[in-house]
Amino acid sequence: MSEIEYRGAPTHVDEEAPPSRRETDRRSSAVRKAIRKELASDEPEVREGREDGDAARPVIELSNVDLAFDMPILQNVSFTAREGETIAVVGESGTGKSTILKLILRLLVPDRGTVCIDDQDITELSFEEALKVRQKMGMVFQGAALFDSMTVFENVAYPLREHTDLKEDEIEERVREKLEFVDLDADRVMEQMPAELSGGMRKRVGIARGMANNPELMLYDEPTSGLDPLTTGTITRLIKKLQMELGTTSVVVPHDMRSAFRMATKVALLHDKSICFFGDPEEMIASDDPYIREFVGG
Amino acid sequence: MLPLRLEEPSRPSFIARLNESAKAKVLALQEYFTLAWKALRFIFSRPFYTQDLVQQMDEIGVKSLGIVLLTGLFTGMVLALQSSVQLKTFGATIYIGRLVAASMIRELGPVLAGLMVAGRVGSGIAAQLGSMRVTEQIDALNTLGTDPIKKLVTPRVLAALIMLPILTVINDLVGIIGGNVIAKFVVDIPSSLYWRTVWEQIAADGFIFRYIPNDFIQGLSKPLVFGGIISITACYFGLATTGGTEGVGQSTTRTVVTSSILILVIDYFLTQLLLSVLAV
Repeated sequence: MSEIEYRGAPTHVDEEAPPSRRETDRRSSAVRKAIRKELASDEPEVREGREDGDAARPVIELSNVDLAFDMPILQNVSFTAREGETIAVVGESGTGKSTILKLILRLLVPDRGTVCIDDQDITELSFEEALKVRQKMGMVFQGAALFDSMTVFENVAYPLREHTDLKEDEIEERVREKLEFVDLDADRVMEQMPAELSGGMRKRVGIARGMANNPELMLYDEPTSGLDPLTTGTITRLIKKLQMELGTTSVVVPHDMRSAFRMATKVALLHDKSICFFGDPEEMIASDDPYIREFVGG
Repeated sequence: MLPLRLEEPSRPSFIARLNESAKAKVLALQEYFTLAWKALRFIFSRPFYTQDLVQQMDEIGVKSLGIVLLTGLFTGMVLALQSSVQLKTFGATIYIGRLVAASMIRELGPVLAGLMVAGRVGSGIAAQLGSMRVTEQIDALNTLGTDPIKKLVTPRVLAALIMLPILTVINDLVGIIGGNVIAKFVVDIPSSLYWRTVWEQIAADGFIFRYIPNDFIQGLSKPLVFGGIISITACYFGLATTGGTEGVGQSTTRTVVTSSILILVIDYFLTQLLLSVLAV
């Protein structure tokens, strides 16, 4: 535990104040209607992902995970993500959503319980072994976390250069392919530095870098935060495209419920340090639980 | 009643706080040495980030050349000037060369180069790694399957270990040349005599393995240690950065202060050790 990586691995805390209850209630019915409509239009695809979901093998399994820094953050958290599923982890600010991603990446180790990736318990792994397991995963950070001393090309090529024996022209081909997948003009952006890009473009490069190695598992930490509604839509569609076309299993910590419902095949709601709801988006919308109702409305 | 109540809980909490902070200090020290050990061990294990190493050697060594030349030159000049005044009272101004050479090679060269590099490079490393930490780039490296210590710390430490002795040699040389200028034009000592006294000084302390002057051993083992101290301290504070951009500023300050103090303190003990080992 003395490795430097554990120091100051801060859980993300939003400073936004939660909306007042009355306001939430007022907004709730309109939002529900909008979400239902949206789900209806997406339904065939979402169902397809879910139907074979139950039979598919589990990719991520968290069981009875406890984690505390100075105070308890997660208690008895369990859920399973099966192949091809997209799990949205939602909850109030500071409830440990990003922490769950860090547990899956083994940037953090739980105090109790196990985290399994492809039936392999990663909590006991050494630091070097963990680096290997992480190659199966692609992570998109909240602020994209592009290496600002490298060009866009070098950023996307980074995992390929690190972990594959691809030749330089093969790498370039792969980078172009990935940049085009995320709707970026490869010729234009490849030689640019991350600082020269807009927020939405940086996020897209982040996604391209995350998927460069063709990982079987993609993790997104608030991929749409700080973006305008149009770009948010683009990124959401992109994540869905990834899931549909490549069948990648994903865990998303979404910025808002709207995009959560658009992307997810399953929703996990974190409340009071543990998961209080895990199921389909429709189930969540139909729920009578006052907290869930309030949450969906907000 | 009230003052008693106030006092009672505050006493254990003070001890508890003391305990906490002591534990945190010990933990920090442990992490510092773990980092140092890993950084050094990774020098010999694959993959080698040669490109990063070359880039860091340029950053730490080549780009520090200017300030090192400047400080070396003026230090040598002022040494010659001051010692000429002192030596004149004994009529011993011909020994300026000896004095300048001894001070530059043994002490001022390594320490000044170390302090300059700590200010210029240490702060830069801490700021860069700190920004990478707060913008999650360190986490990104981890998730992309790269050990950040191997990719970021090892090239910097190795570059500092290589470049600081080189910078020190340049610093020494320029300092002695600066002394030469003052000796010739201000004190009127011919260059040939000046350089002869410089060599006398170097030879006076004896040789190790017959050809290597003891002064050089002293003068080169110090910058090696200082290079390690500067780079590891900077990387440690950089990687341990928390609290956004303000945290980056704090890490930078801490790096410069800590590494400067460490250089001066360790210089003393190292000198004592070397003097006893080389048995002058």
